[in-house]
Amino acid sequence: MGWLVKGHPMYISTMLVVSLLLALALTTQQPPPAKPRTFEEIAKQADAARTADHIQQAIELYTQGLRLRPSWAEGWWLLGSLLYDQDRFQEARAAFIRFTALTSKPGPAYAFLGLCEYETQDYDAALKHFRSWARAGWSGTPNLIDVAVFHFALLLTRDGKFLEALYLLATEEAKKGSSPALVEAMGLASLCMTNLPEDYPPERREMVWLVGEAAFYASLDPRDFARANEYAARLLSRFDREPNVHFFRGTLYNFEHKGEQAAAEFRKVIELFPDHAAAMVELARIDLTYDRPEEALSLAKRATELTPVDSEAHDVMGQALFARDRFLESVQELETAKRLAPDSSMIRVHLARTYGALGRKREAQEEIAAVKLLKDKEQILAPLEEKTRVRAQHEPTKRQ
Amino acid sequence: MIVRAALLVLLTASSWSQETSAPQKVTPAPRASGPVASKASSFEQLSHAAERARNENRNDEAIHLYQQALELRPTWPEGLWYLSTLFYEKERFVEARDHLRRFLTVDPQTGPAWALLGMSEFQTREYTRSLDHLQRSMSLGLGDRKEMAQSVFYFVAVLRTRFELYTDSMNLLMAMVKSGQPTDLLIEPLGLAALRLPFLPAEIPADRRELVRLAGQAALAIEAQRQEDAEKLFMQMVTKYPDEPGVHFLYGAYLMDQRPDEGMREMKRELEISPSNVPARLRIAEQHIKEERPVEALQLAQQAIALEPTSSTARLILGESLIAAGDSAKGIAELEKARDAAPDRVRTHWDLLRAYTAAGRPEDAKREKEAIEKLNTQTSQP
Repeated sequence: MGWLVKGHPMYISTMLVVSLLLALALTTQQPPPAKPRTFEEIAKQADAARTADHIQQAIELYTQGLRLRPSWAEGWWLLGSLLYDQDRFQEARAAFIRFTALTSKPGPAYAFLGLCEYETQDYDAALKHFRSWARAGWSGTPNLIDVAVFHFALLLTRDGKFLEALYLLATEEAKKGSSPALVEAMGLASLCMTNLPEDYPPERREMVWLVGEAAFYASLDPRDFARANEYAARLLSRFDREPNVHFFRGTLYNFEHKGEQAAAEFRKVIELFPDHAAAMVELARIDLTYDRPEEALSLAKRATELTPVDSEAHDVMGQALFARDRFLESVQELETAKRLAPDSSMIRVHLARTYGALGRKREAQEEIAAVKLLKDKEQILAPLEEKTRVRAQHEPTKRQ
Repeated sequence: MIVRAALLVLLTASSWSQETSAPQKVTPAPRASGPVASKASSFEQLSHAAERARNENRNDEAIHLYQQALELRPTWPEGLWYLSTLFYEKERFVEARDHLRRFLTVDPQTGPAWALLGMSEFQTREYTRSLDHLQRSMSLGLGDRKEMAQSVFYFVAVLRTRFELYTDSMNLLMAMVKSGQPTDLLIEPLGLAALRLPFLPAEIPADRRELVRLAGQAALAIEAQRQEDAEKLFMQMVTKYPDEPGVHFLYGAYLMDQRPDEGMREMKRELEISPSNVPARLRIAEQHIKEERPVEALQLAQQAIALEPTSSTARLILGESLIAAGDSAKGIAELEKARDAAPDRVRTHWDLLRAYTAAGRPEDAKREKEAIEKLNTQTSQP
């Protein structure tokens, strides 16, 4: 980690200062609380210490109280919150774990757990808890929701769920406007980099920043394509040999409904990286839009060979076959796509249409019914404003 | 380095029990019996042994001893502090950070601890927290630790640039230059802030390092009033990087004070390269106001506001343009918005002082005068 200021003389001399001079005149500690005897007394003192902003004392008192009464849910919640506010994430996590086991409404605690686990680099657990939080209704204070959504998005990017991540980041953008952190997060997701802001190579900083700015302006409501394109042009002038930069450029053109220009960018991606299946899928989609089913079919076929488990490749191949009236083969591809992505309502729509073309009405109706259900399920990632009930403050359970 | 440190810990671990047995031999065992008494004496022994080991530069051993003592007394401030500094020295920044956080819960008013925490977080790339904590250390003060203060200022300046707070960064860097700090280290941070590139020095693209250094050297030359050197450096920049965003703005900003016509030309060239550049628009608008062309100024200021509605500088120039165009009511309204968004900017208060006076609002003018005096007093303090 020392790469950032290696050889920095001030930094090195600081080391000496640290070792030689940093004997601190430590301020007097807060006086230890008088030792109360009962749980009630301890709880009362803990609340008083917390209210008076005597954080260390409050932490000690809650810990004492919880030793006497481990079933005290509010105590775990308040202890976790105090530790979280002090950035003591490992300890906060332990408290929130205890809280979730004791409460019937763990919603915001899931968000805190996700945040603590993010900070302690337990990323898989963090993502799991953010998903639990989403399923529980995205509850919490507005500030908690903002921080949690942002970190949820970072973890989705790390997990390769770039579109979901961008969706969440766009909701944050709509609420809070631009910030360097948001731009960086959008840059990583838009470049399909499975990195966190803390761990991507410094030499990619410029690219991430330029892509992030372009993505930010393209996601605004109303979209600001003039500024997005300004950053995109700058990006291309600097990173013309990067396939994912052209892929991003193509995506931006798609946003602008500039199909042919988008197609040119996706072709450039394939020229630079002949096995770029995602570019083939995008290009095939554009070919379908421009009524070029043969070209689409050829690209989609190649994409399915390269990434046989990519539902989108099978979906677009199914559509290309449909466009050539090869309905039976289309159904096969779309059923494969459905198997790979059972939650995709779009694939079900395509499948229903193809079943319909084959006269298989019952199956078509089943798919239409499934679309309805899936639309509801997809609401997990629907705009936050629609489904978060912003609470003034989480109400902990009563003392037990 | 981190791996090396870990190895050292492992290597010393085997001999640690032998070494630490010495103090136990010379320190008589306490007579009191029972777990509380033995725990207390054990803490005393461990803490003294840790201090001795640290003073004798047996740092790996000191780390072990402090850790053991802290297991017995987790909120022991000295222990948390010295353990943190030992970890920091060994470039074990995650551990330093975590112990500093515990220390700061116990003792939150210690500037150097916030500084060390911020520097640790810089190394773990938690930049938002790092900047926040380093700035907190600045406001709490670092006592007479001059070298530590220099490091803190450096990290704050480069982080401000990364967070696109270019003017704040530039102000701090120039203050560092004026205070006589070695300028070699400041060239790249200055260049990045001047070119408005939100990178750390370590993130400068290899093929742009020369440009950044040219910009930094030019900024230093201007500060030292070496105009000829500055001119040469700017010429090098625009010749070698004629289409690079930021280059013509920087040269134009320099020329505005020397040869405004050429400055305007450079600013316009910048707008050809970066059509949404707000600072270039505002500098041109300012020049239009100076040359009593308020209509042109107003147009550019309005464009700037449309591009960056939250920019207090754009509001300021819009206010100045409106007043120059004779619309003092709207102008005052914009200046008031600019003042509310950035209350520490003296120029806005001066503008309002003049505008209120002209509008026959002596009470408001008086309030602005007081604000100016207060700000001047603040800035004149070290």
